Amino acid sequence: ATLCFQAFLQMCNLPIQVVCRANAEYMSPSGKLPFIHVGNQVVSELGPIVQFVKAKGHSLSDGLDEVQKAEMKAYMELVNNMLLTAELYLQWCDDVTVEEITHPRYGSPYPWPLNRILSYQKQWEVRRKMKAIGWAGKTLQQVLEDVDQCCQALSQRLGTQQYFFNKQPTELDALVFGHLFTILTTQLTTDELSEKVKNYSNLTAFCRRIEQQFFEGHDRDSSTTAAARSTKRSLLR
Amino acid sequence: DVPVLISEDIVISQPAKILNFLRKQKYNADYELSAKQGADTLAYIALIEEKLLPALLHTFWVEAENYCSVTKPWFASRIAFPLSLYLPGKMSREALNRILLTRGGPPVYTLTEVEAQIYRDAKECLNLLSKRLGTSQFFFGDTPTTLDAFVFGFLAPIYKVCFPRVQLQEHLKQLPNLCRFCDDILTCYFRLTVSGHSPSGQDTADANLQKLTQLVNKESNLIEKMDDNLRKSPQHPPRKLTTLKLAAGGEGSPLNRLSP
Repeated sequence: ATLCFQAFLQMCNLPIQVVCRANAEYMSPSGKLPFIHVGNQVVSELGPIVQFVKAKGHSLSDGLDEVQKAEMKAYMELVNNMLLTAELYLQWCDDVTVEEITHPRYGSPYPWPLNRILSYQKQWEVRRKMKAIGWAGKTLQQVLEDVDQCCQALSQRLGTQQYFFNKQPTELDALVFGHLFTILTTQLTTDELSEKVKNYSNLTAFCRRIEQQFFEGHDRDSSTTAAARSTKRSLLR
Repeated sequence: DVPVLISEDIVISQPAKILNFLRKQKYNADYELSAKQGADTLAYIALIEEKLLPALLHTFWVEAENYCSVTKPWFASRIAFPLSLYLPGKMSREALNRILLTRGGPPVYTLTEVEAQIYRDAKECLNLLSKRLGTSQFFFGDTPTTLDAFVFGFLAPIYKVCFPRVQLQEHLKQLPNLCRFCDDILTCYFRLTVSGHSPSGQDTADANLQKLTQLVNKESNLIEKMDDNLRKSPQHPPRKLTTLKLAAGGEGSPLNRLSP
């Protein structure tokens, strides 16, 4: 999810600095990551951040008409509903992945026994939520089929365009990029999830394009014009 | 577990499985849709489930006045005793649980804040649906599709059920195209004619009439054969038999002739 925000902020041409902290979840006003710290304000989650950035005069979806905005919101919910839930399921409800990857990674900043306690607590919370929305009874295969269905829908919507709407990127592009890139690059016990995404060549091309345009270019700039950047950095930290 | 489809000996529950079954029987409302429109359907369904469903659950099952005066007696009256004492309460608790787990948590700490948030989201969702529908009859042109059925399934209860606390209904009534959409579907697909038959029931009445016609013809053939036999026997004088014919508009007369 961090990647969605980075992509979004870079699409808005706002410079950012990414900092890792062990107690990040506790610093966040909603308990959810990531969050941004601007001046004396702290804002978390994509929706509020988009609103905040819009209030400061930057918006990616101003060029869309009402029907397109409705469509964009609908597709963002589809991504949240299917991809995000599937990622959570895989991380916390698939026993193999939980044991080998999630527990060690989640508990890594803390000493024993805190690492085990905190990760079990998180697991219990996620499983409760899955049960409430009816995902607890799903098998891994069913979850992967749902991911496939979602990717198919995104692929059909994207078609041969560069971005999902017109020629300009929007919040939806940032969100989709964040999730797909994470799925494609995160090492898990099986490759089935990333294979589902790789089946759709226009989606992998889309990720590549956004990476090249907004991330590789930015890294090159920041190393050469460090002095110029330092004045801009005070805007967003 | 509802909804349940019973077709001859087969019993299917869960909406996704029912839709799959119907598609295998060649009933598919999305046949004419393009790939992009199919993708849009999934996206809008996700939007409704995320943004509208919590408020709908709240209106039906958590809002105390609504639950006690309408939902609980309504459901209890359809469930056999003693489950009618237990199930509505369980469904109410599950609804609250779902709302709190999916929408509760910081920065919203109290139930009132969660309620305010979910109703805000639901109203926004209704606005988005209204913008998407615009002036068309259905979401994808002139013929209804799965998305229309899905949206109708969510909107109709909000629109029609008479609750004491109706903030969502009041908001919906300010969106005339969505109200028109619900009314159209109710009139086309849920209408009862004066005789008490639904429009599809009129078709079955015609089919029955056709069967009756065939039966009458068969009987007349049988009578003819009997008469032939009688004619061949030497005891009785031959007599002419008029064959029964059923004309397009005159179903009444031959039936009258046959009846004792």
